[in-house]
Amino acid sequence: MNYMPGTASLIDDIDKKHLVLLRDGRTLIGFLRSIDQFANLVFHQTVERIHVGKKFGDIPRGIFIVRGENVVLLGEIDIDKLCDNVLQQVSIEEILEEQRLQQQAKQKTEKAKVTALKDRGLSIPKADNLDEY
Amino acid sequence: MFRFQSLDEDCTLEKEEGLVEEEDEIDQFNDDTFGDGAIDDDWQEEHKRLAELEEQKNNGLGGLGLGALGMGGMGGGNASTVHLPPPASRVPHPSSLPPPHHSLSSMPPPGLEERGGGDLAESLAMLILGADPAIASVGGPAGPGDRSTGLPPPSIPQQHHHPSQLPPHHPLTSSGLPPGPPHPSLLSYQQHQHLIRRGAAPMPQMNSHNIWENNLGFGPVSITPGLLTQMEDSPLMSIIKEVGLPNRPPPMMSEDGRDLSERAPPPRSSSPVIGSPPVRAVPIGTPPKQPMSHAMNHQQQIHHPTAVHVRAPVQHQHRYPPSFPERISPNTLLNIANSPLCRPPFPAGMGPVLSQIQRAQMLNSQVAGFPRGCQGPPLLPGGGGFRPFFGQPPPHRMGPHPGGPPPNHNHVPCPVIRHNTTHLHPQHRRMLTQRMQSRGGERGGRVGDWRSRDPYSNLMTQREKEWVAKIQMMQLQSTDPYLDDYYYQNYFEKMEKRQERDRDGVRKEHTTKLITPQVAKLEHTYRPVQFAGSLGKLTVSSVNNPRKMIDTVVTSRTDDEEKREKQVWNKRRQILYTVEKMYSLLLEVQDFEKRFMQTPEEQREALLEQHKTHTLQLYASLKEKEWDDRVSDEQCLLIMSVRKGKRLISRLIPFLPPLQAATVVMGIARNLPALAKKDKQDQVLCWLVEPIAVVISSLSSASLTDLLQELQGSEGQLSRVLQNKFGVTLLYLILSEGERMQSSNPTCQLMDDNRWTELVFSVTRELLNVPSSSLSPPLFTPPNLLSLFSRYVDRQRLELLQEKLQISALSR
Repeated sequence: MNYMPGTASLIDDIDKKHLVLLRDGRTLIGFLRSIDQFANLVFHQTVERIHVGKKFGDIPRGIFIVRGENVVLLGEIDIDKLCDNVLQQVSIEEILEEQRLQQQAKQKTEKAKVTALKDRGLSIPKADNLDEY
Repeated sequence: MFRFQSLDEDCTLEKEEGLVEEEDEIDQFNDDTFGDGAIDDDWQEEHKRLAELEEQKNNGLGGLGLGALGMGGMGGGNASTVHLPPPASRVPHPSSLPPPHHSLSSMPPPGLEERGGGDLAESLAMLILGADPAIASVGGPAGPGDRSTGLPPPSIPQQHHHPSQLPPHHPLTSSGLPPGPPHPSLLSYQQHQHLIRRGAAPMPQMNSHNIWENNLGFGPVSITPGLLTQMEDSPLMSIIKEVGLPNRPPPMMSEDGRDLSERAPPPRSSSPVIGSPPVRAVPIGTPPKQPMSHAMNHQQQIHHPTAVHVRAPVQHQHRYPPSFPERISPNTLLNIANSPLCRPPFPAGMGPVLSQIQRAQMLNSQVAGFPRGCQGPPLLPGGGGFRPFFGQPPPHRMGPHPGGPPPNHNHVPCPVIRHNTTHLHPQHRRMLTQRMQSRGGERGGRVGDWRSRDPYSNLMTQREKEWVAKIQMMQLQSTDPYLDDYYYQNYFEKMEKRQERDRDGVRKEHTTKLITPQVAKLEHTYRPVQFAGSLGKLTVSSVNNPRKMIDTVVTSRTDDEEKREKQVWNKRRQILYTVEKMYSLLLEVQDFEKRFMQTPEEQREALLEQHKTHTLQLYASLKEKEWDDRVSDEQCLLIMSVRKGKRLISRLIPFLPPLQAATVVMGIARNLPALAKKDKQDQVLCWLVEPIAVVISSLSSASLTDLLQELQGSEGQLSRVLQNKFGVTLLYLILSEGERMQSSNPTCQLMDDNRWTELVFSVTRELLNVPSSSLSPPLFTPPNLLSLFSRYVDRQRLELLQEKLQISALSR
C-alpha cells in the first residue's frame, strides 16, 4: 500500500511495533495504531523501557497517546529480531532502583561541580527547562 | 479501564436516563466543539456496571450465566447508579432462573428451555426477538416513572414470530430483558433498538424528551426485510447492544440555529467571497467517520451529522464475521483467539475489563467463529510483557463455538501504486515500490500472518489513512514547485535525463512529467463591499470579507520632497522664533508706560533707558546689517510672511521713532508685491493700515515722495499693488496725504521737483489702464483724491477715474 511514496508518512507504519523516544527522555515501545496529521501517535500495549547501563526494565503502560510535538524519533522494531544479546532484562523494581541510583549519582556529581565552580566564582545556569527560554 | 468503544468514534455509550435531559444541550455543544468524535458518556456508570457484571460472574454461572452477565451488564449499564445494584440482582440467572424479586412472573426464556444448551445463540436471539417487541409494547404503557413494577409477561408466542427476524447474536440484548424488570434504561435501549429498526422515521425523536412519548405508541415491531440486513450484526453491533447506544443530543433542536449560521449571507456586489465560511458541523480536523448503513443513517448523515450513530453494518452473514474492513472490536477478537486456548484462573483484580471481554467473547462466539482459534495469541511476539491487562482470558467456556470461516485478514501490505493519491514522480514511485516489494518479500508471509492474528489491527481504517494522506498531500500543494521544492524537482529531472540516455526508447514512461498538486495563485484584493444605493460601508465583516476600519492612504514621499518640506518647516519655525523674541521685547516696550507710572522717581531713569534699549533692539532686528536707515528686506519679508509677524510690525511701528518707522514703512512699500502674495491666505496686511497711516501723516513731503516712488519701484509693481487691497489703500493714503499737503500748504515742496507729479501721473495712468476687475477696492477712499486727480488730469480722464474708482465728486 503506497501512501505517498517518497514522503515521510507514518501510514505505512501502522500496526507495527515501534520504539519512540520522547522529548523528556522516555522510551516507549508499542504498536502504533493510529496517527494524524500532527504525528500524534496512538500506541497500543505500550511498554516504557528504562535503560540503566546494560540493564533494562519494561513497565507496561497500556495505551499511550503521544502528542506529536513531543516525539524525538520513532522507529520500527523488527519483531523477529528481538533477542538482546547485550542488554539484560531485569524486573521493574530493580530497574527503577537502578535508575534512582543513577539519578542520585548524577545529582551528586552535578552538585559537586556547581560548588567547585562557585568556589571559583563562576556559575553555570542550570539547563533545567530546556524548552523554555 | 479499557474501553474499546472509545476507539470507535461512532459508538458511544448510552446516557443515563436521568441525566439525559440536562446534558442534551451540553452534548450539542460538545459535538459542535469536538465534532462527531466527541464521546460524552460517563465512564463511572460503565465501570460500575461492569463491576456488577464481574460480581455476578464470580457467582459461578454457566454458559447461560454469561448471557446473564451480559444482560445484567446491559441492564446495569443503562441504569443510574442508584438502580445499578437492584437490576443486576434482579436479573435472573437463566441457569438458575430464580424468580425475580418483583411481581413479574419469571418467564425463563422459552427458547432456552426448549433448546437447552443446544444452540445458545439462537435461543438467546429468539429471546431477544420475542422480548423486544414485547418490551417495546410494554415500555409504552409502562411510563417513565414506572421503575418498580414489573412488566407483564412477555408474550412468548411472539418470540416465535420473529425467529428469523433477528439474527441470533443478539443474545445479550434479549436474554436479559424478558424476565427482568423493565428497567427504564433497558426500555430506553429497547426503544433505541426499535428506532433503529424503524429506520429514519423515528430518528428525530431520539432525544430523551421524546423517548417516552414515542414509545407510548409503539406496538410490536415489524421488521421489514429491507431493514433485516441491517440487523445482521457485526460483533461490534452486538457490543453496542450490550453496552448501550449512544444517546445523541436532539438533532432537531439546534438544527435551526445551525442552519441559520450555515446560511451564507445574500450575494453581494463586489467581493469575491462573502460571509463567513459555512459552519461545518464536523470540524475540518476530525477524521472521517465510519461508514454507516445507508438506509437508516444515510438520511441523518445528510441532515444531521450528529445523528444517532448506530453502527448497523451493511452486510453480514449470519454467524459469519464481517469482512475485515468492518471493524471488529479488538477485544472480542482477542478473546475469541484466546478463549479456547488458555484458561488460567481468573485474576480477581481485573474485574471490569475482563468481564467486558467475557461478554464480548460471548457475543462473538457464534459470530466470528474462531478463525484464530488455532493460532497462538498474536499479540505476544516478544514475550509476556505486552499483555499487561489482557493476559488472562475469561475462564469460562463459552459453549459450542461454531467454526466459521476465518475472517478476512488484514491486508497484507502489498505495494500497490495508487495513482490517484500519489502525485510524485513516477520514477520515484517506482523506486519506492521496488523497495517495498523487496522488503515485503522477505517478511511478507510472516508479516501477513502476524497481521492477521493481530486483533487490534486496522483500528485506523482505510478511510482514515486516506484522510491523513490527503491532509499531507494538501501540504504539498504549491503554486511554484520549483520554488518550494527545488532539489526534489531537480533531482528527478536529472534522473529522468539519465535514464533517457541509458535506456533510450525502451521505456517511454520515463518521460512522463512530474505531477505535483499545484494550486493556482489567487489574487485576493480587498474591495469594500457596497450595496447599491446605500450609504457607507458594510457593517458586517467576516473571515473572507474583513472590513477596513481605517481607510489609510499611503502617501509616499520622495526624499527630496521630504527634505524640502523639512526645510520649509524649519525656516518657518525660525521665523516664528524670531517673532516671538521680538514680541517679548515689544511687550516690554508696550508695558513701559504702565511700569513707568509705577516705579518711583529714582528708577525712572533706568527704566527709560531700558525702554530705549528695547526699542532700539527691536528696530535693530529689523534693519539691515550695515545701513541704519534701511530695513532689511529679507528680514522684513520673513517676519511679515508670518501672520504673527505682521501683527508684530503693526504693533511695533507706533513705538518706533519716526525715522525708523518711516524706514519700516518704506520697506513695506518696497516689498509690497511680495508681501501681498504671501498675504493671500492671511489677509492681515490691513492691520498695518492704521499705524502706517499715522506714519504717513507725519512724513515729510520728500519722504512721501520717496514712499510713493518705492511703491512704484519695480516694473509692474504698481499694477500688483493695485490688485491688493492694502496696496490700494496705501496708495490712496499716500496720495491723499500728498493732496492734503498740497492743499493745506501751497508752499510745500511737493511740487518742487517733478517727481511727485510724475509719480502721480504714472499712478493715474496705471489706474486708468488697469482693468476694473483687477482693481481691488480699498479699505477706504480718502475724500480728497478727486481733487488730487483734478489737478493733474483733464476732465475726460477725471471722469473716467471717477467712475473707475467710484470717487464721488466732493467739493473741497
